[in-house]
Amino acid sequence: MRVLFYQSMIEAIRLFRNFAYIFWTLVTPLAFYILYTKVFLTDVDNPKMWQAYFLMSMTMFGMMGGSIIAFGVRIVSERQLGWSKLLQIVPIPGITLFMAKIIGQTIVHAIVIVIMFLGGFFINGIELTLSQWFACGVWILLGTLPFLALGTIIGTIKKADTATGIANLLYFPLAILGGMWTPMQFLPETIQKIGKLLPSYHYGNGAWQVVQGGAPEMENILFLTSYFLIFMLISTYRRKKKSLSNVEYIS
Amino acid sequence: MERVIELQQITKQFPKKLALNNVSFSINKGEVVAILGPNGAGKTTLMHIMLGLLSPSAGEVNIFNQPPHKRKVRDKIGAMLQDVSLMDGVKVIELLQLFTTYYSNPMPLQLLKQLTNLSETDLKMRTEKLSGGQKRRVSFALSLAGNPELLFFDEPTVGMDIASRQKFWRTIQQYAKAGKTVVFTTHYLQEADDFANRILLLNQGHLIQDGSPEAIKRNVSRQIVSFLTHSPFPFPAFKKLPYVLNIYEKENRIMIETNNVEETIAALFAKNIRIKDLQIEKGRLEDAFSQLTNVEELEGNII
Repeated sequence: MRVLFYQSMIEAIRLFRNFAYIFWTLVTPLAFYILYTKVFLTDVDNPKMWQAYFLMSMTMFGMMGGSIIAFGVRIVSERQLGWSKLLQIVPIPGITLFMAKIIGQTIVHAIVIVIMFLGGFFINGIELTLSQWFACGVWILLGTLPFLALGTIIGTIKKADTATGIANLLYFPLAILGGMWTPMQFLPETIQKIGKLLPSYHYGNGAWQVVQGGAPEMENILFLTSYFLIFMLISTYRRKKKSLSNVEYIS
Repeated sequence: MERVIELQQITKQFPKKLALNNVSFSINKGEVVAILGPNGAGKTTLMHIMLGLLSPSAGEVNIFNQPPHKRKVRDKIGAMLQDVSLMDGVKVIELLQLFTTYYSNPMPLQLLKQLTNLSETDLKMRTEKLSGGQKRRVSFALSLAGNPELLFFDEPTVGMDIASRQKFWRTIQQYAKAGKTVVFTTHYLQEADDFANRILLLNQGHLIQDGSPEAIKRNVSRQIVSFLTHSPFPFPAFKKLPYVLNIYEKENRIMIETNNVEETIAALFAKNIRIKDLQIEKGRLEDAFSQLTNVEELEGNII
């Protein structure tokens, strides 16, 4: 337990010190948020609603980046740099160290969410009830699970450069097709059909519903849970296959 | 003697190479063992198998009478591996602290700090900002974090300057005196000769020698008998002797290279040659190494 706690804290601290990570999960989404709600004013019927809606979109956009890119690529580079080799010979089960990574990441995500929400509150004076804020926060935090699972698949890629490339290729289409940038109803119909099959849309829709006074739809929960399970299955399979082949350099 | 490591008929087959071929040995508590061999001999593979990082294709390996991946084993071992960078985004002191939480009987943090030989300011530095030598010292401290009974070092002194190297070996010697077991691989024959009390010599996946440095040197057949003499030396008569390999003069001394010291000396007395200051030069470890592995180029004499 003590190891799990300490390791999780260290993982969280490492993320905070990682400039690229904070840039992509916090600075960029916040900057885009200000840009699209303060600078380029979109002509919408209900500006207050748009501001709250887009705050959720951008927060989730950051979460997805943190989970797919930062989390996944980090696993690869730690393996490539040999650090994880040393961790294999300490008397701590791999699962504990893996859990600590997830917990550390979740701690940072929670703090990023709070900062984003505070940003929205102070920049645009968004008016949501306390339970709406809370529900959105919890949804956004829990909803990262399928994307973290996707990150663990990225983590099985051999080279960090390849992993970064593939992560980016997944991240931006997922975000755009899922309606994180332009709300779903303004996208062409074909795109909408594809988008509604993606985890990003169901992730987004849960929070959008809450902002509009509703609750996440059952369909959203089912989609995200299924994606989570499928991604975990793939990543477990790939890791198993890897450890079985057990090929290392000789010297 | 308490048995710490036991390998039975270990074979490791990689897709394109047989890295280890039927290697067996056991190591007792308190031994300092060097694994020597030319590049590609299987040193690192052997070490990875003992650490449980690789599983052998055949054979059995036990550390403290248990398979190496067991948690109880891991709690009692420490290692410094090749090509392992430190965790980034943490300060040295945080990393040391983290590692002490992993073990049931950790080394006191104060002691670990001393081992890194870093100043208080350096300890607060991020690991990625350290120099190569500083990183090695932190790795060394991490290997000792669990106050291990058994230590593995894969090419430990590569990239260390002379001062760090000496400090490293001093610490290891203290550790061995306290009854701990140390296994290391090295390219530097001198290190093996100076610090190990046993050498395992690998060549192309085979364990070809296992013994003390002295015993391995004794296996080198070539030795040199040298002496001073006032009388003219009958070179041709000695050159004819079957066990004499070469004779020459060096700094007024007659040097006889021989593979039979006793017979050579007997011949000297038989021929009534008055000799002074007789010396017998035993073979050097370098000679043993090259003779046994047929490797020409050697990376020795660095210290």
